[in-house]
Amino acid sequence: MTSHIAAVGLRKSYRKGKIEVPVLQGVEIAAERGELVAVVGASGSGKSTMLHLLGLLDQPDAGEVTLDGRRIDDRPDRERDRMRNRTFGFIFQFYHLLPELSAVENVMMPHLIREGLFSYMRKRKTIRRDAHEMLERVGLGHRATHQPSEMSGGEIQRAAIARALVGRPEVLLADEPTGNLDAATGQGVLDLLRDLNRERSLTTILVTHDQQIAHQADRVVRLAEGRIEEWAPALV
Amino acid sequence: MYKYLLCWRYLRTRYIALASIVSVMLGVATMIVVNSVMAGFAGKMRDRLHGVLADLIVESRSYEGFWNYEEVMARVKEVGGDDVVAMAPTMETPGMLRINRGGQAAESRLVQIIGVRPEDRAKVGDFAEYLFDQEGNRIPPSLEVTDAIRARSPAGRELKELESQPPDPFLESTREWLETRREEQVPIHGAFLGYALATYHPGDGRDDIFLAEMGSKIALAFPMQAKIPQTGADDFAVVGYFKSGMSEYDSTHVYVPLEELQRARNLIRPSDGKGSVNQVQIKVREGVDLDKLADKLQLAMEKLSPMFFHVWTWEEKQGPLLAAVAIEQSILNILLFLIIAVAGFGILAIFSMIVVEKTRDIGIMKALGATTGGVRNIFLGYGLLLGIVGSGVGMVGGLLFVRYINEIEKGLSLLLHHKVFDDSIYYFDQIPTLVETHTVVAIVIGALVIAVGASVWPARRAAKMHPVRALRFE
Ligand SMILES: Nc1ncnc2c1ncn2[C@@H]1O[C@H](COP(=O)(O)OP(=O)(O)OP(=O)(O)O)[C@@H](O)[C@H]1O
Ligand SMILES: [Mg+2]
Repeated sequence: MTSHIAAVGLRKSYRKGKIEVPVLQGVEIAAERGELVAVVGASGSGKSTMLHLLGLLDQPDAGEVTLDGRRIDDRPDRERDRMRNRTFGFIFQFYHLLPELSAVENVMMPHLIREGLFSYMRKRKTIRRDAHEMLERVGLGHRATHQPSEMSGGEIQRAAIARALVGRPEVLLADEPTGNLDAATGQGVLDLLRDLNRERSLTTILVTHDQQIAHQADRVVRLAEGRIEEWAPALV
Repeated sequence: MYKYLLCWRYLRTRYIALASIVSVMLGVATMIVVNSVMAGFAGKMRDRLHGVLADLIVESRSYEGFWNYEEVMARVKEVGGDDVVAMAPTMETPGMLRINRGGQAAESRLVQIIGVRPEDRAKVGDFAEYLFDQEGNRIPPSLEVTDAIRARSPAGRELKELESQPPDPFLESTREWLETRREEQVPIHGAFLGYALATYHPGDGRDDIFLAEMGSKIALAFPMQAKIPQTGADDFAVVGYFKSGMSEYDSTHVYVPLEELQRARNLIRPSDGKGSVNQVQIKVREGVDLDKLADKLQLAMEKLSPMFFHVWTWEEKQGPLLAAVAIEQSILNILLFLIIAVAGFGILAIFSMIVVEKTRDIGIMKALGATTGGVRNIFLGYGLLLGIVGSGVGMVGGLLFVRYINEIEKGLSLLLHHKVFDDSIYYFDQIPTLVETHTVVAIVIGALVIAVGASVWPARRAAKMHPVRALRFE
């Protein structure tokens, strides 16, 4: 059986002047459909870089990314744009909302990008309803019309999570989604991800520093020295 | 869809960009006002030029002119047919004017002396509409020296005072003496004197001072036909003033009776007593293509007498002046358009700033699947929107300014205690304006092109941003 999303021999290095800084040196990672994989690793070990490569935000120096066994990292720009919009949901480590838009409009963003002017006009009711529903699920129903400048850091983060999920992606790439949240809210977010993960069999790759969170994943891997190793949290 | 939403939001939330709109707006408004006023002035000027000149002029190359003007006119009628409405032979010559101002004071001016049959001349143009008496009333096109004119001479005025006295022999002889004085003071032939020649304009709202009053004597000197160059001179009585509103004409033209000018210039042929003219002025039916008819007439004239005649349209006659106005307008337009171009650089600078500020937003949008073209279009659309708002407001402002320009002028004059638009200089009671749709459209489109053009570079920079680098941007 082929994995839902997988990376083979991923390499990525950054060039800083003449010095080459290798970050990923042959990363192998795979997740089955509906699996929740937690990634842990030291700061600066390249977790975000790996997620960017998996989510087609950047291109690896070597290696491949496959979805359902088909290589996707070398597709033309248009197709990669489309997959970013439809296939992947991304929660950024530095969650960020567009400051000109209200919370609900930010959550609608994947749909706004997906639809043209006319198809949006036709579907605008559903789109708005979906966004509101998603905001409810992250507990922000009462903040829908707020501007990002009127929201707390945690609220912004939850809105960003709603934005990542509203477009019904197949794969969720979450870069420390609970980083800024208190334990209870963080657990709430994780419960939500778990639920969706079951409901929609959403494949999730979750970067986290939080042991509690990592424990609840189907599987935990560790990124160290540019490579992935299976990691049993029980050992810690 | 997100493009439209973001364009709109940026427009409503980025007030800094509105600063660059203001310069687009001012540029567009200024261009509309200046063009409308210039078109208004040019139009009025063309009207007046055209009013003074007939539609077509058949002119001889020599100052002595031609005697066979009846033949010329018959030929014109033959070629032009019904298109020719009226014709008037005239004799135009440069000369000198001398106005005696009582005692030793006198003024001499270079003038254009035009011998006309006033009734005929009035039929080929607006000539009759430009004739006024000293009080500013319109007068009929007649150069006859009437008793009313004579009564305005110094001797005439004294005679008038005597009328009320009871008859007595001494008075009778005084009256006779005054009557001979009056004949001496008032020449037999009349002249219309250019208004600017006849008056002095003190400005500041004071009345014009007449140097040559009605009924006074003016002396003209002009070239005579002779073996060697020789000047002749003649006296005329001022019977009215020619005031077209074109200072070029009002300060040079003196109209005198054609036959008298021919006699004085020795242009009457002894064999048949016919005088020569050097122009035939032609009025043409409205809507006729003047250039085409002029070409046809030129051909006919060549057959009559090769290399002797030149057929002008009124526009050709005034070619240099009209061309000067056109050049002036285009230079002004280029300069004003530079204002909008400067506004374009403002947009470019502000947009580049906004793109840097929006780096993370752009990263997010790309991560959410926005295409390169989509991101580019956000900023191009934003530029277009700024251009539309700027040039739209500028257009409305400019048109309103033009509409109320005379009221604005009055208000400014009151505020500054100084007449901004001195109507006595141009003889317009109002500032003439003419709003040409195609000019306004061209200005607005030009402004839009500049606004969009200025946003191309920042938009491309935004579009080319790498999503990860944009996301990591601090
Ligand atoms: N544009 C860049 N140029 C040079 N080095 C970079 C660049 N981007 C990232 N790096 C380096 O790559 C390494 C991996 O970065 P990355 O953000 O993937 O780490 P991380 O595992 O997500 O860390 P954290 O847990 O702190 O988020 C870091 O050492 C970082 O300094
Ligand atoms: Mg990271």
